Amino acid sequence: MTPTKDLIAQGSDKTPQKKILIIDDDEHLLLGLTARLKTNGYAVMWASDAVTAISVARKQSPDLVILDLGLPAGDGFLVLDRMRALSDLVAVPVIVLSARDPANNKKRALDAGAAAYFQKPPDNHEFLMAIRRALGEMVALSTFLKT
Amino acid sequence: MIPEALGRLDAGAPPAGSTRSPQQLGLADENRQVELSAKMRADLLDFDAWGEILKMYGRTMRVAVALTDSEGLLVGKCHNPQPVWNLVRDAASDWGAGCPFCITKRPPCAAVADAIRSGTAVVVHDQAGLTHVAVPLTLGKETLGAIIAGQVFDRYPEPLMLRRVAKDFGISAQDLWEVAKKERPVGGALLQASGHLLGALGHAFLQQRHAAILEEKLAETNDRFRWLAEGIRDYALFTMDTAGRVTSWNVGAEHMLGYTEAEIMGQNFSCIFPPEDIQRRFTETQLHKALRTGRAEYEGWSIRRTQEQFWANVNITALSGRTGPIQSFAIIMQDSTERKKIAIVLEEAQQERGRLQEKFLSHVSHELRTPLTAIYFFTTNILDGVFGDLTPEQHKHLALALDNVTQLKDMVSDLLDITRVETHKLTLVRQPASLVKVTSEVLSTCHTNAAAKNINLRADCAANLPLVWADPARVRQILTNLIDNGVKFTADSGTVSVKAKFFGEDRDFVCVSVSDSGCGISAENREIIFDRLAQVQGTGEVSRSGLGLGLFISRELVSRHGGRIWLDSRPGHGSTFYFTLPVFSLVKYCSHIFSGPNLDAGSVTLIAVDVVEVQRGAQTDVLREIRQILERCIHAGQDVLLPATGDKGPIVTFFIVACSDPKGSALIASRILRDLQNFDKASQLNPRISATTIRVARGQSREEQIHEIAARIESSVQEHLLAKERNK
Repeated sequence: MTPTKDLIAQGSDKTPQKKILIIDDDEHLLLGLTARLKTNGYAVMWASDAVTAISVARKQSPDLVILDLGLPAGDGFLVLDRMRALSDLVAVPVIVLSARDPANNKKRALDAGAAAYFQKPPDNHEFLMAIRRALGEMVALSTFLKT
Repeated sequence: MIPEALGRLDAGAPPAGSTRSPQQLGLADENRQVELSAKMRADLLDFDAWGEILKMYGRTMRVAVALTDSEGLLVGKCHNPQPVWNLVRDAASDWGAGCPFCITKRPPCAAVADAIRSGTAVVVHDQAGLTHVAVPLTLGKETLGAIIAGQVFDRYPEPLMLRRVAKDFGISAQDLWEVAKKERPVGGALLQASGHLLGALGHAFLQQRHAAILEEKLAETNDRFRWLAEGIRDYALFTMDTAGRVTSWNVGAEHMLGYTEAEIMGQNFSCIFPPEDIQRRFTETQLHKALRTGRAEYEGWSIRRTQEQFWANVNITALSGRTGPIQSFAIIMQDSTERKKIAIVLEEAQQERGRLQEKFLSHVSHELRTPLTAIYFFTTNILDGVFGDLTPEQHKHLALALDNVTQLKDMVSDLLDITRVETHKLTLVRQPASLVKVTSEVLSTCHTNAAAKNINLRADCAANLPLVWADPARVRQILTNLIDNGVKFTADSGTVSVKAKFFGEDRDFVCVSVSDSGCGISAENREIIFDRLAQVQGTGEVSRSGLGLGLFISRELVSRHGGRIWLDSRPGHGSTFYFTLPVFSLVKYCSHIFSGPNLDAGSVTLIAVDVVEVQRGAQTDVLREIRQILERCIHAGQDVLLPATGDKGPIVTFFIVACSDPKGSALIASRILRDLQNFDKASQLNPRISATTIRVARGQSREEQIHEIAARIESSVQEHLLAKERNK
């Protein structure tokens, strides 16, 4: 069994693992997505509502946030706005992953500072690519390809 | 006619060489077309009208006069002062029937019948030697009856004849002779003149009577109509002349619009229509339509004297004189505000229902996506070996599970689109669009999918491909759908190709085809493939994926464009989907203004209006507003504003085709300039208007003229756009 393209093992790397915070209230999604992200070499942490999300983010300083829009205690846009207002979180890239219709939400999310918008379920490959791009890892890859 | 008729006095037959008939002469001519009803015939012979004049004639001429109908039957009374006739009449117990004037024991004379049949006066003598004359009464082609006058001797009475009469009627011959001998014979010439006079008198009186009856009837009808028009309170009925001045006004109009007849008579109609409608020449356009077609009907706002607006159903009829041009308009107006209110409520309810349905489906789609996402992650994680290697059997089954997840995901995506199909929210924004451009855009987005399966995806558009009259976003949607399907159904390393060319010999449509080298579609599936929720059951690995709502939505979109979608397929040899789109044609777009009278003016002008973009964000709104302003400035029946074409740059150009000479187009240009400057006081739009006049070639067929003009307009448009490009 050969791993698919997005499953690039990073475990052997000396560099410390990048931390991804998933903010979503669906436990099954957390379980499934975490397994995939961990396989790809990321450290994963969770938050299930808008309030906890901010405190976890401030405490853990994730390198990237995957954000659902429909959350208990305030929606994803609120989280986005708060993050943009906090100096320690303003630079953390956010990828929105929501079941909501992109026609009504994508532009708003991007305007609010999200790096990308994916409607659930996302394509694994494209989703991982977006994560790497947001983390700046794609740059390294392309530099590698050029040499 | 009378002298000729009297010519029969002796001969009893019309004089040779006479071809004239009463119908060809005199007053009757005017009524040649008259067809008389039984009621009219009876009215014309009404003895109350005739009695006095006949009596006067009889007294003056010392003759007896009687009136008969067309059957020869006496109408009213007949007073006969002739002493001989009276003596015989009083004494005789047994009098023959028939002619009321004949003293005879033989069959009575047929003078009346002859006169009615021949249309000429007939003179006869009776047994006593007394003369009477029957004069037909004709009106137009119809003979209504006759006048009989007479009982005079035209020579001295003959004793022999009188003796036979006395014997036949059983009276004293001596008495009869005593009475008869006192009679003075009337000379032939006098008799002739008398007949003449009687004929003329009869005809004149009949004419006069006919006119009087018609007039009375007309007055009655007028009164009835006036009563009707006055009495209708629920409808406003009024007329106006071609200058727009009110010429009559009923009670209903007063009731509905609030102006009294005295106030509104002679006023311009514009006060009862909204100023916006007057300004954008809407009401005028409706009147023009009535002028052209005789009638116009529309629904719109009107204004009462109180300035209150109401929704009215307006019916305009152009009234012309008996020959000549249209002289006035009759307008019937009904207040349908209540109906409109109900319609608005209904429309709102329908919209609300559609909105709720969309909201519901949006919610359903959201709710379905959440568990679907968990399943997707779990399946792909296991399938991709996150939790260790799988047996081939496990892998196969999980791959099938994933196929189903993907299928479910696509169905959920289509759910919202399908509500939009059903609530008619799939709107088209048509413009002249380039298929080459749309195809290359779609190909670049579909490339990733195709490359993943190593499928060769290529496009081939004919070099001379014209612009199509379509919504580019929708065409993109259709093409994406077909290409995605093609890629999905084609095995690795296959081919999917897109072609666009003219639809056979038909130059009005472009045909786009998407072919794949996939598994093909069976005949029965071909039948149902475009149906809603079509589920194609087939064989092989990709049997159930895709083909749900995508083709249904594509078919909707194609047919909304006026095109057709179909497919060609052989199982095992791939499929080709075809769809057609209408070619953008300037000739067709302008067909309603390229009419005979417009082209006879001799020239067509292309007016280009360049405006500078105002604000970035508001651009769409501003452009829409400008289009509306331009549409108001042109004359809908003569000019047309062309649809937007080409890329929108910092300068946007609108083109107008005007069927008028340079003077007329200069008028339009100045109107546009004024209205655009009014719209944008600071003149940031900086409108620049230029015009190119194109002469209509003489001596060509209409079709050739139109094609040549269209070609020249097209090249002028291109020239203008190129020049704009160069100046940038």
